[in-house]
Amino acid sequence: MATDKELSDFLENVERRAFKQAAYAVRKEESALDIVQDAMIKLAEKYGDKPAAELPMLFQRILQNTILDYFRREKVRNTWVSLFSGMKPAGDEHEDFELLDTYEAEQGSSAAESSADQVERAQILDLIDAEVQKLPARQREAFLMRYWQDMDVAETAEAMGCSEGSVKTHCSRATHTLAESLKAKGIKL
Amino acid sequence: MNTDDLNFAYKVRHALNEKLDDLPASTTDRLALARKAALSRKKADAPVKVLARQNVLAGIATNFFAEPMAWLTRMSVVIPLLLLVAGLTGIYQFEQEQRVAELAELDAAVLSDELPLSAYMDHGFNAYLTKREQ
Repeated sequence: MATDKELSDFLENVERRAFKQAAYAVRKEESALDIVQDAMIKLAEKYGDKPAAELPMLFQRILQNTILDYFRREKVRNTWVSLFSGMKPAGDEHEDFELLDTYEAEQGSSAAESSADQVERAQILDLIDAEVQKLPARQREAFLMRYWQDMDVAETAEAMGCSEGSVKTHCSRATHTLAESLKAKGIKL
Repeated sequence: MNTDDLNFAYKVRHALNEKLDDLPASTTDRLALARKAALSRKKADAPVKVLARQNVLAGIATNFFAEPMAWLTRMSVVIPLLLLVAGLTGIYQFEQEQRVAELAELDAAVLSDELPLSAYMDHGFNAYLTKREQ
């Protein structure tokens, strides 16, 4: 049974990575923050009495379900909005461009304050970040759970609701895709 | 996955972790607030359920010879039960006797021909008399 401190430590340890995971999936920071908050509250409310060892898997499952719920809500909302506005698809594209512009600007501003090496390092990190975001959703989930969240194959499979074989396949494909895309950009890790 | 792939995966992990340090303060503050909100709504630990045996009736599980007072406590349960059963039996007997007495009075009235006139207007009673005569 997880104590208050164990739960607090676990959430503190995982919250920033969870935010990035959600942000990779939904591509909106504000929505990603809402998703992480919802997932944390659900974990505490419903599974606060579970052993600390089970928390990573439970939290990942809740996080993935909350992300899926977000997409469902967005789909319904977009359906209704598009019913009343024929211009909606064009608006969506515009929003994407705005996001990218903001993203580039943040990248530039943080890099501008750093020395040459730091700029280069920051740019590489941004590129890796962008390439991870470009991965297919399932591959990204599997890769991040296995290698970023330190979950084993069985836990990842349970959190993703698929077989262990599928997790291995997703991880392997994600690794190769990332390696190839980074190599194509001249980045060697 | 071979060793090279694993090494690559862990290098990516390292890069992603480095990138985490660049998160703006507003985001980390918001995450800290979310964590506090979640902790304030933590599910309370369920009380541990322990099966405890308890005697429902006092004295049932105790040894008569070991405890002299057990006989008294046992009787304090048995005597009221016996009284209740005796009372219910008495009430039943009394009701039965009442019913027999009422039936006897009716039979006596019929036999002594003290019948009201309305009885002879009853078709059912007439049919009964006709059948008896036959």
